[in-house]
Amino acid sequence: MGAEIRDKVVAEVGKVVVGREREIDLLLMCLLARGHVLLEGVPGVSKTLLANAFSKCLGLQFKRVQFTPDILPLDIIGGFVFNMKDREFEFRRGPIFTNILLADEINRAPPKVQSALLESMQELQVTVEGHTEKLPFPFMVIATQNPLEFEGVYPLPEGQLDRFMVKVSFKYPSKEVEAGILKRNLSSIDVNDVRTVLTVGELDALVRQVEEVKVSDEVLAYLARVAEATRNEGSLVLGASPRAMVQLVHCARAKALLVGRKYVTPDDIKSVANEVLTHRLTIDRAAALKGVSRNPEAILTAILDRVEPPR
Amino acid sequence: MVSNQLILGALLALNIALYLPLVFSALRRRKHKVNASNLADAFNGLEMALKEAVPDLPAGFTWEEAIARLRSSGVKTEGMDFALKSYEEYRYGGSPLPDLDFREVVKVANMLGGITTGKSGGASLGR
Repeated sequence: MGAEIRDKVVAEVGKVVVGREREIDLLLMCLLARGHVLLEGVPGVSKTLLANAFSKCLGLQFKRVQFTPDILPLDIIGGFVFNMKDREFEFRRGPIFTNILLADEINRAPPKVQSALLESMQELQVTVEGHTEKLPFPFMVIATQNPLEFEGVYPLPEGQLDRFMVKVSFKYPSKEVEAGILKRNLSSIDVNDVRTVLTVGELDALVRQVEEVKVSDEVLAYLARVAEATRNEGSLVLGASPRAMVQLVHCARAKALLVGRKYVTPDDIKSVANEVLTHRLTIDRAAALKGVSRNPEAILTAILDRVEPPR
Repeated sequence: MVSNQLILGALLALNIALYLPLVFSALRRRKHKVNASNLADAFNGLEMALKEAVPDLPAGFTWEEAIARLRSSGVKTEGMDFALKSYEEYRYGGSPLPDLDFREVVKVANMLGGITTGKSGGASLGR
């Protein structure tokens, strides 16, 4: 069932977003593993279109919030307003009460707003002045940020980056894909062309199936060795946290389900490790002076090449 | 004038020099021959053979990576796809060890044993 649905989602979203199969896969894995996604890329690489088409394909409610320096927590999570008719305060829900929230340019919002959002991501509920409301199921934040902006931005601190299950780097497309994008844009693109291929009930069943995907003790021991290796790596100040490793397991389980398996292999772990772990690794600033790579992807690849998986 | 005995001795030495590496190579092949009694043994043998035949394969290699590497080097591995899937189900999924035909796995392992080389040189499976 998982592989079949994965193929349908990729095909449907692919109608409007060309050449982003890997990104669609990661969004789906993350949704099934109850995680959140950080999309990093320069403007104009179809981040928003992808999020919108993905929600449409799964029949989920989608809301977009453009983060700006003057945005307030109230603008996202909602707050109490005075109802003149009833003469009492009532809670007005913010745009966070949706299935998929696109937090566009999250690093433009001040830390107070970022932390209000990230708290909701963790707890899956909103609390304002003692009033608590659960967020709907499923709930996923797709945040975007531009890696080249330095002016007027508030970079997400490590603790907040850790809340995102995966970080997907949107690179420029290849020449062939670019030609495909141009061809696709010769006629107008309408997200409504994307058909809904999954009901909320089916999605709920898939999420439960992810929780049933088996992870052997040996694979867990392998993960622990990988975690230890990141923490002992000389060129890293901060290795993978236990939360990072938990999210890596969940993501690998979702990946296994989407290829039609009921167990996790070391290949599943390695195939998602880059997107799950690299944004949580902090490079030793002195590493470059020692001639060590400052690229977290290269460091992680070297670690995974070194740590022996169960075979 | 060179005596016949000297010529014979030289020819004998030349023969030894020529054939000794071949004898060693044949012995090595025999040493690396995988004898498996079940699927798990066959994959253990393949793992050993891979480590020796492809010295630049990283210690953290997975089955998928190893198979991809063999395929890119022209080794035919399609015949062991089902065996690998079944082995992974047993290894990672907790299924009982299947009673399957593992001859293809042993064949690939032995074939790798045949082209085993050290890091120092000779033929090896390139990337």
